[in-house]
Amino acid sequence: MAIKFEQVNYVYPSYDGPAFSALKDINLDIDEHGEFITLIGETGSGKSTLVQHMNALIKPTSGSVTIYGIKIEHDTKAKGKVKLNPLRQRVGLVFQFPEYQLFEETVLKDIIFGPKNFGVKEEVAIERARQVIKHVGLSEEYLSRSPFNLSGGEKKRVSIAGILAMEPDILVLDEPTSGLDPKGRDSLLELFMDIHKKLNKTVIVITHDMNTVYKYASRVLVMNNGKLVYDGLPTELFSKDNIANWNLDIPEILDITYQLEDKYNIKFPKVPASLQDLYELIKEVIL
Amino acid sequence: MNIIEIKDLSFSYSENLHALTDINLEIKRGEWISILGHNGSGKSTLSKLIIGLLKADKGEIYVDGLKLSEETVHDIRRKIGIVFQNPDNQFVGVTVEDDIAFGMENLCFSQPEIENKITEYAAKVNMLEFLKKEPQALSGGQKQRVAIAGILAMSTDIIIFDEATSMLDPKGRSSIMKYIKEINETGVTVITITHDMKEAVLSDRIVILKEGRIIACGDTIDVLNNKSILNSSNLELLLPLQLLHLLEENHQSNEKLKDILWRLSLNK
Ligand SMILES: Nc1ncnc2c1ncn2[C@@H]1O[C@H](COP(=O)(O)OP(=O)(O)OP(=O)(O)O)[C@@H](O)[C@H]1O
Ligand SMILES: Nc1ncnc2c1ncn2[C@@H]1O[C@H](COP(=O)(O)OP(=O)(O)O)[C@@H](O)[C@H]1O
Ligand SMILES: [Mg+2]
Ligand SMILES: [Mg+2]
Repeated sequence: MAIKFEQVNYVYPSYDGPAFSALKDINLDIDEHGEFITLIGETGSGKSTLVQHMNALIKPTSGSVTIYGIKIEHDTKAKGKVKLNPLRQRVGLVFQFPEYQLFEETVLKDIIFGPKNFGVKEEVAIERARQVIKHVGLSEEYLSRSPFNLSGGEKKRVSIAGILAMEPDILVLDEPTSGLDPKGRDSLLELFMDIHKKLNKTVIVITHDMNTVYKYASRVLVMNNGKLVYDGLPTELFSKDNIANWNLDIPEILDITYQLEDKYNIKFPKVPASLQDLYELIKEVIL
Repeated sequence: MNIIEIKDLSFSYSENLHALTDINLEIKRGEWISILGHNGSGKSTLSKLIIGLLKADKGEIYVDGLKLSEETVHDIRRKIGIVFQNPDNQFVGVTVEDDIAFGMENLCFSQPEIENKITEYAAKVNMLEFLKKEPQALSGGQKQRVAIAGILAMSTDIIIFDEATSMLDPKGRSSIMKYIKEINETGVTVITITHDMKEAVLSDRIVILKEGRIIACGDTIDVLNNKSILNSSNLELLLPLQLLHLLEENHQSNEKLKDILWRLSLNK
């Protein structure tokens, strides 16, 4: 087991006003291999708070998170046996706002910062930067640009490149596709899928896009008001009436499918997994 | 009558970075226009030029008959509200309430009016219970909702939304879109910058940018169905239209099916 949450509660401290309880009794196991997980839920439901526990950026108020055998609790201090640096290399977290991750003079320096910090030689890190910048859909020329003078989507891509260059064992991405153009969104999701398949790594993606969940996820987690209310297969999730209760949307493929069934008063023999599937079904049943 | 006119506008951030080239665009009063295009195509740059945050190298911008210049920029900014792509760029106050008030204060609204509107608009974006919180203590989508409330409360003639709903959950997003439609119907001119074709569908007209140039500008329904133009700027057809194209390419469609898929695309 790579990451284990046991009865995790998290309360954001507050100097005035009431403290805010953002996570409530979370129990969760995440495998190092073989999972493509999507994490969904309303705005403010606790998704970002949850994933920041996965590399000990924040510590549970009560309960524990065990990351690669290291147990993180409320009073865990980073000293002696407990070294957080290796954890942060193994669990790579891309923030929701790229601005939180970009601080160097050039894109190159930003991308090599992580790897160098974890002991990778400068030349090796630079070579990685040359590769990953292309993987996120930007040309090598961007390496000499200032990260602050980029468009929103370009910043997002650079922040993802920085984590990819660390070559973490588990990749956690907080809304990586918000702000990306549709082609960029698809090619980055394919890239994450590739990393997951070829290197057998676990990838966790926070998203509001149900099409992404439907197309890529092998497992889906749903947060609602600080609680983990669903942990299972996407198909089951969308077959239940959970959709209405949790402010979820229905994947577009299913929406079109159900509308067609309705308009033609028919039932397709199966639920389509892709547009091509639906096309075949239409040929078979409607035309 | 055009509320915004842009003539032969060009802008470079540096010698070899031409962000916009020869932009010509007229926006009618009360129109809702979407600006689409790949990352880095110049959408945010264009919106910053319109409000005078950046200065064009060449060309002119007219807002409500006024030519944008150092003398007029203040008057022009009173007519345009802009929700920035990154909500953090908009936050200056200590609490959510301060941030919603900020724009209205700049427009010299009276104190009682400001107070009323804070509650009115916080309610519209579903953020009433957060008024006393620090903006930094909000989730991404909550920040976006606060940014939207602050700009809506200013009740300007023109509002620009630069990917303002990108981090909202689906229900939150559609309630904001519904609200944008409402204010547009009362005569407010709306410019939405987005990557989401489902949002673009709601507007009257679509402009597509590619590498700083306008490559398409036309009625939503026409641009929406132009696969090659969309693809050339990293965009995609709406899913029902993708299906329709697939069917038609294989000579498999019929009128009824076509009608259903178009209705689904247009949300009707
Ligand atoms: N402050 C800046 N300094 C220098 N170059 C910039 C600056 N801001 C943007 N650019 C560059 O100008 C071009 C247009 O950027 P702009 O932010 O307008 O794109 P955009 O269409 O809004 O993209 P996105 O969809 O990613 O938000 C890009 O090539 C970008 O790298
Ligand atoms: N630094 C903070 N201080 C206090 N409350 C916070 C802070 N960050 C987030 N919160 C609150 O915790 C809840 C969960 O936030 P978050 O995990 O960012 O949500 P999500 O990522 O699901 O949108 C929200 O109600 C938010 O307002
Ligand atoms: Mg979040
Ligand atoms: Mg932009």
